[in-house]
Order: sequence, then C-alpha cells, then structure tokens
Amino acid sequence: MVDVSTPTKWALRILALGYIFFLVAWPVALVVRETFSDGLTTLTDALSDDQVTGALQLTLMIAVWAVVINLVFGVSISLLLVRYEFPGKRVLSALIDLPLSVSPVVVGLALLLVYNGRSGWFGPGIESTGYRVIFDSPGMIMATCFVALPLIIREVVPVLHEIGDDQEQAARSLGANAPQTFWRITLPSIKWAVVYGVVLSLARSLGEFGAVKIVSGNITGRTQTATLVVEAKYQNFQQSEAYATSFLLIFVSIACLIVVAFLRPKNEA
Amino acid sequence: MSIDITGLNKTFGDFVALDDVNVSLPTGQLTALLGPSGGGKSTLLRIIAGLDTADSGTVSIEGVDATKLPPQKRNVGFVFQHYAVFKHMTVAKNVAFGLEIRKRPKEEIAARVDELLKLVHLSQFSHRLPSQLSGGQRQRMALARALAVEPTVLLLDEPFGALDAKVRKELREWLRRLHDEVAVTTVFVTHDQEEALEVADEIVVINEGRVEQVGSPDELYDQPANDFVMSFLGEVTTLGGASLRPHDIEVATAPHSAGAVEGSISRMLRIGFEVRLTVLTVDGDEVAVVLTRTHARSLGLTEGATVWLTPANGATVIPSMRASLAG
Repeated sequence: MVDVSTPTKWALRILALGYIFFLVAWPVALVVRETFSDGLTTLTDALSDDQVTGALQLTLMIAVWAVVINLVFGVSISLLLVRYEFPGKRVLSALIDLPLSVSPVVVGLALLLVYNGRSGWFGPGIESTGYRVIFDSPGMIMATCFVALPLIIREVVPVLHEIGDDQEQAARSLGANAPQTFWRITLPSIKWAVVYGVVLSLARSLGEFGAVKIVSGNITGRTQTATLVVEAKYQNFQQSEAYATSFLLIFVSIACLIVVAFLRPKNEA
Repeated sequence: MSIDITGLNKTFGDFVALDDVNVSLPTGQLTALLGPSGGGKSTLLRIIAGLDTADSGTVSIEGVDATKLPPQKRNVGFVFQHYAVFKHMTVAKNVAFGLEIRKRPKEEIAARVDELLKLVHLSQFSHRLPSQLSGGQRQRMALARALAVEPTVLLLDEPFGALDAKVRKELREWLRRLHDEVAVTTVFVTHDQEEALEVADEIVVINEGRVEQVGSPDELYDQPANDFVMSFLGEVTTLGGASLRPHDIEVATAPHSAGAVEGSISRMLRIGFEVRLTVLTVDGDEVAVVLTRTHARSLGLTEGATVWLTPANGATVIPSMRASLAG
C-alpha cells in the first residue's frame, strides 16, 4: 500500500464520513426520529390504518412476485450470456442494462402504451379474456420486474465468468446430466451472488415508485403500494403516517442487509 | 483396441486443430499424446471425452460408436489441468459425486470412497475442502474422483502441467505405479517429452493437427519417423550432414579414425555432471556435443582445443535437412 501522510488520511476520512453523513445517515436518522417522536403511537396509528396495511401487503406481494420472476429469468439469462455464444448476445447484454439508465416513469409509460385496455397493442386482447394488466397487480409486477431486472444478472454474471466451466465439464464427464449439473454444481457455486442479487432486487422492488405509480393508476386502497402511500399521506398533511411508512420501508431494507451480512461465510469474498 | 479414431477433423474458425486424424489406442495401456502446445492433442482428448465435438470423423470406445454420445453417457474419467475440483464439496463428497449421480447405495459409496482415498493417500483429508489442499493433493483427489465411476478409459489433460517441478516428478512416478495397480486404459496429454518417455507404454506424437508417429518410447527414440519426432524427443545437432543426438558424438583429441570431423571447441559449459561443448568445425558448422564431466576431464578438454568428432557406435543418425530442424 502507498503510504499516505497523516493529514491526508484525516482529510479523506472526514470527506467520506461527511459525505455519507449529510447524504444518507442524517436524513434517514431524521425519518426514524420523526417516527418515534411520540413514542410508538405514530407507528401503531399507521399500522391500524387500513390504507397503510393494505399498501404494505400489496407491496410485499408485488415485490415477492417480482423477485421470484427475476430470480428465474435472471439466473437463466446469466447462464445464457456466459456459457453460450449466439448472434445478438451483445445487444441482449446491453438491453439488460437499459432499466438502470431509463427513468422508471418512462418504463411505466411504455408498459401503459403496450398493455392498456383501450388502445394498447396487447391490452384489449388480454382484457377480452377477463384479465387486467394495467391499473392492476399484473402491470405493477411487470413494472417492478423491469426496473429490478439487471440486479440479479449483474451479480451472477461476473461470478459465472470467474468460476469458469471446468467444474461443470467435470460433472458432465462424471455422468451428471444438465439439470443435475445445474443443481449440484453451478447453483452452489453462484449461491452468494444469487442471494445478493435477490436482496438487492427485493430492496429495489419494495422501493419502486415511478413506474408503479403510472401503471397502477394509484387507486387508494386497491393499487396503492407503500411508496405511493408515503406520497399520498405526505401531500394530505398526514406527515406522521408518511414517516412511519417510510420507517417501515427503511427497516426492511436494513434488515435485508443485516441478514445477508450474517448469513455470508467469512472466508468467501 | 479400446479407442478407435477415424478421419477426425476439427477447426476453430480458420485454425485447423485436427486434420484427418486416424489412431487406435490399445486397451489397458498408458498412452501419451505428445506434442507442442497448440498442436491439437488436448482437442483430441476432449473430443474422445465428448467435451468437444468433431467437425467430421468417428470415435468409438470399446467397440461402441461414441461420436454422438454426450459426455455423461461415455463412461470416461477426465482429469483437468487445473483440477476442476468442486470447491463447495469436501474431498470425500468430490470423490463420491459420480457414484451419487449413479444412485448407488450409501454404504457402497462410503466404502468405495474410503478405498479410493486410500489409493491416492488422502484418507486423512476426507473432510477437508479442496481449498485446504496443495496442488498435488487436489490433482490426486481429481484422479480418485474420475476413477470412482470405474471408467472404461481414463483421460488426463496435462495433469501435472500446473504443478512445480518436484511434485510433478513425484506424481508422474506415482501415476505409473497407480496404472500398474488399477490397469484402466489411460490416455494423457503432455508437451513434456521426458514425462511421456518415462511414464507411457505407447506414445502418439501429434503436431499441427496430424499424427506424426505412434510407437513405444524406445521405438520413437531409436527410430524417429522424421526430423520433427527426432527433434521433439530430445536435443539434435548435425554432424557431417546427418542429424544425431549431442550425447551420441564421440570426441577424440587426435585424428584416430577416418571420416572424423575436425573442429575447435568454441564454448564449454558445465552443468552439474554434464559438459556441453560447442565445436566449430573446419567446414564452418557449429556442432553441439554433450559428455560427462569425468569424460571431459579425462580428455583434458579446454576452450580453443582442437578435437575430432565421430558419431558413436549405435547412435541414431538420420540424414537431415537443416531447415526442418527448427522445431
């Protein structure tokens, strides 16, 4: 390591700590303080409000579906990108990064254009079978899937590259077929990358706002997720409930990170 | 014959890896595929295992046409240069893998794993993870894992290539003894001619995607089919228009025999018990000569001395064209 002079060391520490403090720690701490300024009453009030509990349940349902769908597709696409050569591979790889660069509001609008019940490309066809996509949970799950899509893939792809396919070939030569090789060799090797991807996706899915706001129609008590409730409550001057809901969202995110930190074995990078 | 290969071709883009390869590898023997890097020997091994597919040609193993079979149906054991250990499994679990896939009874698996770990001297490490083993131990574990499924043929792709020189030499001797014990048809790839000469019953020399010669180590060394085989199996020099080994040249300090080539020693290099001379002949050729330290001392050789060179009795001598000796 390069030797850094003591004043430089302190300057760097203060810079990093200051940046994180003013940008992350302080604002989050204020939300927590506002939530508990009257003891637990704000939280219990919020949790006895049907609008909030309904939104929390909906958020959880949508996030879990989105994570499960992204898990299956994310791992399959990662394997496809790393283990196989095919025309259009670079285009596919670039498209996967698109959700990171496109604003979620645009994603919402795009889904609305394709699936809305009146003039969308597929919308009327789907609605004639008695199934609604837009202004209902399928559309909200799709929007959430879209924004969280790259998270699992970007965790898993580098690990797949790193482990190479030697172990898979060895398994094949020992008599394992493709599914056996996947379950016994590939999956255990990428386990931690998948767990990280899932946690990141879950956190991202719980917090999604823009895309979901557009496709859900933001109908109170029906298609309003936790983040939408925070906005609605805040604009209705019910700040304390907004803070309490925000606190719950922060709490789940931090809990996810802590769980992973404990689960992860110490010797694995 | 255990493995029959006919008319095998394989290209990677413009690169011809295998060019109409026909070869039969005998049952129960230890065969070396020897050749320079990029010569196609690993590709041939991987095609036998089913890990790569040939563009054309057939592979049959013990009389069964295996050309179209996936690797898991060929019943071959494969050992990789970089071990390819299952990192998340213990040594015992690694060895048991093939048997568990075959759904053998638990007691049978445990007994077989025990027996194999004894064979490769890893019994006391059975509960360790591969990351806690040295390179040589990992490769022995990989061998036990491949042997566990009782393969028809055992294929080893530069098995000792990633190990340091000393471990390499030990494992090489150990592989020979192991093969004498287990007697499974074994094919291993190497670019080290010493390894091939020491360990193999039969050597297949492969260069630029073609088989140059097939034979026992003695046959190859004594009767090389061409300049390439001659030069690949050991050092070669030219004396009076013929190729021969530097240690097959006799040095005299006086012109005893007719036909001896006169020259002067331009360089003398001692390495341990060995002395290497560079002799500049009166015809202007540079000849490399190797003799023992004791022999050189008894002749009283020094740099600048005049010597007479003749091929030794019984030396392998083939008429040469200098240009083709580059390899």
